[in-house]
Amino acid sequence: MSADARGWRVALVADTLVNPPERARAELPDVLGVLDANGYGVLQLPPPGEHSLLLAVIADQVAEYAHHGYAVVAIGVSGVPGDGLHWRSLAPVLRNRGVPVPPRHILRLDLDPELELQRLAALVSSYDVPIEEQRRWRV
Amino acid sequence: MTEQDAPRKVALLANCLLNQNAKVCEGARYRSLVSPVVEALRSRGYLLVQLPCPELAFAGARRWWAVYEQYDTPAYRAHCQRLARAIAPLIERHLRRGDEVILIGLDGSPSSGVRFTSSKPDWGGRPNRPEDDWEIVPRRGIWIEELEAELARRGLPALPATGWALDMGRFDEAGSRRDLEQFLDGRESSAR
Repeated sequence: MSADARGWRVALVADTLVNPPERARAELPDVLGVLDANGYGVLQLPPPGEHSLLLAVIADQVAEYAHHGYAVVAIGVSGVPGDGLHWRSLAPVLRNRGVPVPPRHILRLDLDPELELQRLAALVSSYDVPIEEQRRWRV
Repeated sequence: MTEQDAPRKVALLANCLLNQNAKVCEGARYRSLVSPVVEALRSRGYLLVQLPCPELAFAGARRWWAVYEQYDTPAYRAHCQRLARAIAPLIERHLRRGDEVILIGLDGSPSSGVRFTSSKPDWGGRPNRPEDDWEIVPRRGIWIEELEAELARRGLPALPATGWALDMGRFDEAGSRRDLEQFLDGRESSAR
């Protein structure tokens, strides 16, 4: 095996942003491209609907990352129920697992896609856990 | 038929194909996602459905490397069964509406292997094994076995499946890409 390449950053991403509906593709920025360029792995959230067991499974994974020096953010999109983040279900489960609720970034479909892309890139490029946490875990 | 009603192409992806942070220490070959897989699928019109990572939530982000035999325990299989029950309703919904669903796992993985998994029955104890002393054997990983069992329990058909050969010892990206594209394009031409 070679040296490990992981980026130590994880994004919870609304399903709509992973799988944009054809009619909305022009309005939605290439979120996976931005995350890839900034070293974020993706944890895909399910589409709207009831997914309590799957959200619990996702929360288990987020807890493991948050407790071991990984930066976690959540990226949703306006115009989808709950911005596609299932936050009312997910946030309490994360709190139960002792995870600080990750910062949320909501892309707005009513604004210029190019500006929205820049806003997203600004957040994800600058966000990380404190340097002491990085030093503790990223060896 | 509206866009919403039309049958779609759906690819189930091993978790780490979208998130290399899920890999065991020293196993991440990419910073974020495995872009050749994402590009190959998106350019062919596939929707992506990420499977949960069974090892991360069971043995942790700082787990040791392991082979099939070490994960082949009742507790790990029960954990995989819980994960399968969590994701199966989404998969079932796609299959019941007539979508074409395929599975892209991770060949060589003890959990997510599709065509191959890693094997070494005598691994155990202090983790001081030399590099590359495990074997690659033609077999599903444990997570894929349990996922397929859950889908079968629901009366769903077996999924066409292949694996991205990330955990085969020596990784050949160009070869893996050709292999994946042949799998995808072979399905396209047989469907015509």
